[in-house]
Amino acid sequence: MNKQLGIFQVVVEDHKCVGAGQCVVVAPEVFDQRDEDGMVVLLQAQPDPALRPAVEKAVRLCPALAIRIEDR
Amino acid sequence: MSTSALKSPLPEAPRFPFARTCPIHPPPLYAQARTEQPVYKVTLWDDRKAWLILDYALVKQVLTDPRFSGRFSHPQFPAVTQARVAIDKQERAFIGMDNPEHDAYRRLFTREFSAKRMLALRPQITELTNRLIDEMLAQGSSADLVESLAVRLPSLVMCELFGSPYEDHVFIMSCAAGRHGLTQSAETAQQSARELVAYMRRLIDQKEKEPGDDMVSRIIADHVLTGGLSREDFAEIGAMILRGGHDTTTNMIGVGTYLLLQNPPLREKLAASPELMAGAIEEMLRFVSPVQFAPRRVALEDVEMGGVLIRQGEGVFPLLPAANRDACVFADPDTLDFDRDASGHLAFGYGIHQCLGQILARVELQVVFSALLQRIPTLRLAVPLEQIRFKSDMQIYGIYSLPVAW
Repeated sequence: MNKQLGIFQVVVEDHKCVGAGQCVVVAPEVFDQRDEDGMVVLLQAQPDPALRPAVEKAVRLCPALAIRIEDR
Repeated sequence: MSTSALKSPLPEAPRFPFARTCPIHPPPLYAQARTEQPVYKVTLWDDRKAWLILDYALVKQVLTDPRFSGRFSHPQFPAVTQARVAIDKQERAFIGMDNPEHDAYRRLFTREFSAKRMLALRPQITELTNRLIDEMLAQGSSADLVESLAVRLPSLVMCELFGSPYEDHVFIMSCAAGRHGLTQSAETAQQSARELVAYMRRLIDQKEKEPGDDMVSRIIADHVLTGGLSREDFAEIGAMILRGGHDTTTNMIGVGTYLLLQNPPLREKLAASPELMAGAIEEMLRFVSPVQFAPRRVALEDVEMGGVLIRQGEGVFPLLPAANRDACVFADPDTLDFDRDASGHLAFGYGIHQCLGQILARVELQVVFSALLQRIPTLRLAVPLEQIRFKSDMQIYGIYSLPVAW
């Protein structure tokens, strides 16, 4: 049912993050960086399905392989 | 492909680096080898063998695989010249470390290069760019774009970031150049490296006494004075950042301008549609890929990859310019095409060491090319093409001087 609605989850492994910020640049509605150390902040674990292409791009661009999409 | 029987056979373990046959394309042997031997054996300056990684997917794999170490102090870490070996052994900053040490240091600096902070510099960078263009135009009707703009803008921006006085930038540039030259002697290279670190020590001292609104002062307050980072480590890292923020951006400005001047239709398209600029910069980065002979890795254990066995201790060069011309990822890869989606290019590297300053570099490049197109629409080369000299021998590829007129 979730898949039909396009619902997806974003999972971030922040221990892998190197603070490159590419996710923020391509999907600022979903990702931010902490002020104190530039590490990733997941703003929405279940973004609007319309944001899926942007999140997929963030997954692809993340140099630390720290982001993945789960269709639950 | 049936034409493979007609192609000349691949040279066996040729001497690396290879020569370019055309200034704007990587050596043709990369493309030739990629299809048959994407992990390609070469011979280095000291007759040691090493492996080039020429395939995009394999380059990403190597750069995210902990079996390949980026530790410069590893006894078998590969280098393209004797001078480079000497520089590597001197490196104390996190560019030459593996995890967990690497992350511990890098994370002290990542907030200084965050997306938010770098994007907020756009107005300031625009102002600096316009000032430099004013000064260039004031020279008359011709100038060297490399000297007037390409060298100065990144220097000015780094000086702003660090809070160092503008008059320091000439010194900083010459140190950076000394480190990157392939034809430099080991002694000259080491000397240049030490001078930059010495400069940082003086700047740290200055800022500790008189803090300002700049990165150096913030790092001192938040990390040095709290005992989280030694002054010596900061000096080494600062020197690395100063180097990183110079040559690469300078060379992109030089070569990028050259490409636009050589491609009037592309230039007109970009001038007419400013919304294409961000994408065009990504395409320029992909196409130019100025970091020629890095990153480097050494295998910590035997790894089977691309049909070969890389043995423990062997050196590996996951080549960014080769990956960026991989036709499996970028159709018609040797064509500069501002309509393509070049995101995912590897000009800034990949993995834990991916360029710390990449967002800053992008902002600088977007600003510079927008300003050039807008303010000097009649910009043209002032000398014949053949007179333009490219830095084939340097670690970071670029142009020595670009005489332009308007």
